[in-house]
Amino acid sequence: MPDIEWVYIKINGIALKVPKGEMIIESAKRIGVEIPFFCYHPRLSMKEGGANCRMCLVEVASRMPDGSLRKMPKPQTSCSLPAAEGMEIETDTEALNADRRGVLEFLLINHPLDCPICDRGGECPLQNNTMHYGPPTTRFIEEKRHFPKAYPLSQYVVFDRERCIHCARCTRFTRDISGDEELNFLWRGADMEVATFDHTEYNSRFSGNVIELCPVGALLSRPYRFKARPWDLQSAKSICTQCSNGCNIKLDYRLDRIHRVNARLNEDVNEEWTCDKGKFGMDYISDESRLKTPMIRRNGELSPASWEEVLYLIASELKNAEGEVAGVGGAYSSNEDIYVFQKFMRETLRSKHIDHRMGPNFQSYNSGLLKRFGCPAMGNPIAELEDMKSTLIFGSNFVDEQPILYLRVRKGWRFKRNKVVEAAPQGLISEEIRHVTQFAEVSLNYKNGTELPLAQGLLAALFEDKGRPLGEQKLLSHLSGKNVAQCASETGVDEKDIRKAAELLATDKMCIFAGEYVTHSPDATAILEVLGDIAVLTGNAGNLNVPVSRNNEQGAMELGILPDMLPGYVEEQNPGMNTEEILSACVKEDLKALWVMNTDLVKEYHNSDLANSAMDACPFVVVTALAITDTAAKANVVLPVHSVAEKWGTFTNVERRVQAFCKAFEISPDIHAEWKVFSDLSSMLGSPMTYADGKDILNEIVKSVPTFAKCGPNTLGDEGVILNPVAGGKE
Amino acid sequence: MAETLNRTFTPIAQGMALTLKHYVKMLTARKENIATFQYPEERREQFPRTRWRHVLTRYDNGLEKCIGCSLCAGACPARCIYVEAKENTDENRVSPGERFAIKYEINMLRCIFCGYCQEACPTGAIVLRKDFELSEYSRQDALYTKEMLLEPILMKK
Repeated sequence: MPDIEWVYIKINGIALKVPKGEMIIESAKRIGVEIPFFCYHPRLSMKEGGANCRMCLVEVASRMPDGSLRKMPKPQTSCSLPAAEGMEIETDTEALNADRRGVLEFLLINHPLDCPICDRGGECPLQNNTMHYGPPTTRFIEEKRHFPKAYPLSQYVVFDRERCIHCARCTRFTRDISGDEELNFLWRGADMEVATFDHTEYNSRFSGNVIELCPVGALLSRPYRFKARPWDLQSAKSICTQCSNGCNIKLDYRLDRIHRVNARLNEDVNEEWTCDKGKFGMDYISDESRLKTPMIRRNGELSPASWEEVLYLIASELKNAEGEVAGVGGAYSSNEDIYVFQKFMRETLRSKHIDHRMGPNFQSYNSGLLKRFGCPAMGNPIAELEDMKSTLIFGSNFVDEQPILYLRVRKGWRFKRNKVVEAAPQGLISEEIRHVTQFAEVSLNYKNGTELPLAQGLLAALFEDKGRPLGEQKLLSHLSGKNVAQCASETGVDEKDIRKAAELLATDKMCIFAGEYVTHSPDATAILEVLGDIAVLTGNAGNLNVPVSRNNEQGAMELGILPDMLPGYVEEQNPGMNTEEILSACVKEDLKALWVMNTDLVKEYHNSDLANSAMDACPFVVVTALAITDTAAKANVVLPVHSVAEKWGTFTNVERRVQAFCKAFEISPDIHAEWKVFSDLSSMLGSPMTYADGKDILNEIVKSVPTFAKCGPNTLGDEGVILNPVAGGKE
Repeated sequence: MAETLNRTFTPIAQGMALTLKHYVKMLTARKENIATFQYPEERREQFPRTRWRHVLTRYDNGLEKCIGCSLCAGACPARCIYVEAKENTDENRVSPGERFAIKYEINMLRCIFCGYCQEACPTGAIVLRKDFELSEYSRQDALYTKEMLLEPILMKK
């Protein structure tokens, strides 16, 4: 911890100690003194466009060198006023109240009073502050400024120019946080408006956040437009299911329909941001296409059936299969479902053939990573990423694969002067020019498919740099005798760039991200070995991150939906078949039944022909699904299961953080939780599982899986808990 | 004996005399002084500020006043109002401005006729009028929909 210099100040006569330079608006929060504001936001920089709403005025008296107090003649904006020794601040005086009334009267001159039809009405800072501090009436009798209503900025955001109070929160967000710099101010004075350059579409992966940031109803959600008012909505704490980052969200729903998704604060994961995939992608929960009854294939057609009928059919088929059963999927189910699924397969059905992995090469590199670094996933927690002095993003379309990790890395670059090195295939950089490349110190733009030589080049450059400790000689073996120049010519990257990148990476706080271009490459194992060497050589062993991409893929790994690992990465002596072998066995008709767990296998498996023919060839396929997908359409039995909004459960996110989500509503009593299906079937097959609810299962996981020891339902809290490290597996 | 007769018939005669007196009085009295109404043929005139059945009113040009803002639902202490809004288009204009109510339901079994909805309404769309006969044969019928609540279009001169 760096030493903090403390200063003593007084706010409204209350003495307090705050770090030197802290903005007074933050200091006031420490003692619960409220200062009204619009434009201030702790995560947005004050430079270039801050302190412009003039709402947070306070009266200040500073301590002079001779010890006397000197009052500033005019009020100051507390959001841009750093605390200094001996400062005395007043936040509630007659003069300030008059000033605030004046500021609000000015803001309301051009602000239309259409609160009843404004989607922000009821949760609007302008409305609230006007009620608290504003004048009761207006003296402005002239015509207000008029613009066309509801200008569509993008497919997600509409913009009402009349309502804008020019606080610059959205423009600062696009510059400081999302990094696309799409929004900016056009014109000046009363004509000032927020716009994209040349009025093109607002094209951002994080556009939804400006809706939450806007302190008035100027930037509004297009899907949510006129859907409900804040007081109509109920809210459930939840976790986003669109990618593995595990953003904390609030599902705002009315009856059984999700109306909008807002971010929930979690400093360790998403801070208070969401990406558009999550914010506008959770509609599937209350979609019309949701399956509401079990379906059985009769005469070639799927037709509705009762749960009793379906479960008896499945139980008898599975009994006849006598262990020649396999299960795939699970990356979209909760930890509880996953645990019960693997228990059902392993203990009730006596089958080891389960796997959740859908991409190529997983089998080969997962075990390598596990042996070397103790975990085939991320080595660093998300919150640590912003403190990494340099970050290597290797073969990844980072902003799309890991949007929240991207925001962290960018935050480190923007606010902490960290360096970023990007290595991406040539096509990718030109298409995604606005993202990591935009702020990367060095961009290594390699020929497609040359990930391995490039990684070797970086390693060779680190070795050749005489100033660095050479590390273990065995690392040299991964170089296959190449030097930097050879690697440079092989990859089409300038040799100087490789050396410069290697120099940037040689710091004591460095981390490496390997993306899909690495994990999907045929050389995945070798590339990850070399990247691991780079981490070891720079003294950052373990800082190799291979983030998973799907919702609860990490949980599926931790809880043993793997043919060779039991829950908690306990090695299985006689491993079962992996996804590819399972599907091939289905084609050869070696398996009598296949269970597909809430996954659109046909679409997701990297070889869709194999998946299709396996589904066709397997005599009995059970699919648990939210809706009839391409995979479910080929199944013998389809079971409707709960989505994230209909049950309590936990997900494990990309940094191995277990986070709980709460039940919001029930769509139909004929939709069951997945674990319920397995425990019912297990009882019918003669080995009863007695779980009352998800918390029961989590308690059992806590008892039986050592990595989950700290994750009991009562200890998770709102922010979740990171899993224990895997015992005995780190270099 | 005479004593007994006296004690029996005198009160009856007195009572009947009173009844007769009022009967005669009613026959000769002016209409507004009579307390009894021949309901349901006749209905009592309600007090000016009586709050009974809700009505969704219209502007003179036939457009609905309701803008679907749901403030009534927010103000309702019995939570008996359900509003769903939609955006007006130029082809299908229901109310002036951007927004109108596509669904407006009041559960009359829950309503306590407090009139807060009327007070909250920014456009004066929902008003409680004097129609007090609100009994229904089923609970479902007591769920008043927007079509039931809307004032018919009156072509005014």
